[in-house]
Amino acid sequence: MIFAKELGDTLRGALTDDPRVVLLGEDIADPYGGAFKVTRGLSTAFPQRVRTTPISEGAIAGVSAGLALAGYRPIAEVMFGDFLTLMFDQVVNHIAKYQAMYAGQATCPVVVRAATGGHRGYGPTHSQSLEKHFLGVPHLRVVAASLFHDPREVFSDFLGRDEPVLYVEHKLLYPQHLTLPVNGRIGDLLATSEGGPLPTVRLSAVPVEDCTVSVLAYGYQAMLAAKVIERLAMEEEIFAELLVPAQIAPMDWAPVERSVAVTGRLVTVEEGADGWSWGTEAASVISRRLFGRLRRPVDVVASEATVIPSSKTKEASILVGSAQIEAAIRAAAR
Amino acid sequence: MNPVLVPTNDVNSEHGILVMWFADDGAEVEKDELLAEVETSKAVLEVLAPVGGVLLHTAAKGTEVPLSQPIAHLFEDAAARSSFIEQQAAAAAAAPSPDGPRATVKAVQRAAELGVDLSTLKLDRLITVKDVEAAVAPAVPDTLPEPLVGAPGRQRILIIGAALGATQVLDILAGSRTQQAVAIVDDDTSRWGAEVHGVPVVGGSGRLSELFATGVFDAAIIAIGKSPAVRARFREACSAAGVPLANAIDPTAKIATDVELGQGNIICAFCHVATGVRMGDNNFFSAYNSFDHHSVIGSDNASGPSCYTSGKVTIGSRIRFGTGIVIEPDVVIGDDAAIASGAVIVSSVPAEHAVKTKIVTTTVVPLRR
Repeated sequence: MIFAKELGDTLRGALTDDPRVVLLGEDIADPYGGAFKVTRGLSTAFPQRVRTTPISEGAIAGVSAGLALAGYRPIAEVMFGDFLTLMFDQVVNHIAKYQAMYAGQATCPVVVRAATGGHRGYGPTHSQSLEKHFLGVPHLRVVAASLFHDPREVFSDFLGRDEPVLYVEHKLLYPQHLTLPVNGRIGDLLATSEGGPLPTVRLSAVPVEDCTVSVLAYGYQAMLAAKVIERLAMEEEIFAELLVPAQIAPMDWAPVERSVAVTGRLVTVEEGADGWSWGTEAASVISRRLFGRLRRPVDVVASEATVIPSSKTKEASILVGSAQIEAAIRAAAR
Repeated sequence: MNPVLVPTNDVNSEHGILVMWFADDGAEVEKDELLAEVETSKAVLEVLAPVGGVLLHTAAKGTEVPLSQPIAHLFEDAAARSSFIEQQAAAAAAAPSPDGPRATVKAVQRAAELGVDLSTLKLDRLITVKDVEAAVAPAVPDTLPEPLVGAPGRQRILIIGAALGATQVLDILAGSRTQQAVAIVDDDTSRWGAEVHGVPVVGGSGRLSELFATGVFDAAIIAIGKSPAVRARFREACSAAGVPLANAIDPTAKIATDVELGQGNIICAFCHVATGVRMGDNNFFSAYNSFDHHSVIGSDNASGPSCYTSGKVTIGSRIRFGTGIVIEPDVVIGDDAAIASGAVIVSSVPAEHAVKTKIVTTTVVPLRR
């Protein structure tokens, strides 16, 4: 089953198991079933609890906050993550603050799902990966969908806790099939999962002791990076270990530290614009914790800090893709 | 061969459902003939033949198809269609079986060079060049040379390590009337059978126990200067094999009165070990090292030339010293530290720490004439 359907199935399960779950979003009801078809069929099965909203992300955030304060479990869909900016005030100043402000007497467990990312030729305002602006907001978790994490476990974690969470879903993951670890492997790569219900998945062609570079990536870029590390291993014996966290903020740095302690080199990959980013935070933390054990500075791979063009060719020259990931790993492993 | 693509500008859909085939698999169709209908989230799309030809379906009715991939191919004639199907089948058959060994491109090349059959490597993971090379039996000479017979009354020394460290130890022993090198062992099989300054390399460290038991040598010296960790490992190997270590002290070295020396220390030319010094085992100190009075030194250390301590310095074990290092009185240097060349150490260094120095470069310019 493709990721969009796995996710739809997850939401169906959540609606079935938990009567507090409510889905809100633009055009999510049947027959359209959402721009990426994640919610297809759900409004037919749960007409009272799966509701199409007006085109206002601000309203979606506000209504979700109210529902969550009143004891519901709203899961809001943002059709294009670019418009998370319209939710920013509600998320930062209200949703993320209630629990701490009222010493736990109020909770606001809103789940915001946002379709993010480019490589589709959607142009400047429908292609961005803006999650970096939400990293470091106190009491807000940011989790990235990946093909290496079962969305059922991810949502069971979301719905089992009282904190708000932003779940970013790269558009290009929707048509892909999940590739979960089975018997310590994902395809031909060795795979281990470390840490809790939202683990960091570690992938490599050979045991980490033989790897000379660690790669940290999430979401769609993690899927690309997995293919790159496998190809570099098979064709050139450049061995890298890929680390794919589900939760990108706050981060559990321990698996990254363990990997870099062995390889001495770290490449981070993200699709968002370069600078002030997830990768630069990783560089700061790992440089501090492993000072003296790094063999070279941390390499941060991110997209060019400019407007994303509509032309697919120009877009490809700006956004991070396999070529940039491969070049960075080669340079680091040299 | 021409691919049949679904005509769509629908940026919201990655996939569609192939609702109906209007032309059968294998049928001969005209250009612009209706072939199929595909339903996306926005519309039902008609797929027309881009050219005339013989049709090969690549997707079945009712299945979900990616909109970026062809749903069929059109061929000039039925023969071209058949041969394409045969090629596809052959390619599928030629693909490596999932049960066969998986190896990197370089490993496959190396295996061909070395004549290794990859299927004999029973590894449940990706096979690399390292695995292939490990599988090759080392090229061992048929007969290993015999150790030398020592002169009567001299301590017969076996040297561990046949690289440049061995030549330094041999140079020290060359001036000795009490010790004589009779053999060298080294784990690099390519050195086996060779001689270093007339002393034969008689095999690897695996022979330690056997050679000692047959009484061909009396004590060993570890002639490896670079790595304290390796020195420590071989010292433990000797200890496990019951092999004693011997000191090798250059005749130009000054060893003062009231000095306690352990075993296995290599002390090169013009070293100074001052009165009251206590030195452990298995250190490798290069030329012009000076340990001033009442300094205490552990084991398995290695230094470059010209390292000087003041009095009452404490040096732990397994420390790597560079070249040209000066240490102030009463300084304590912890185990497993590493000290860069040129360091002037004025305060103590904790265990497992590195002392780094600013790199001072000398500028070299052409002479003005």
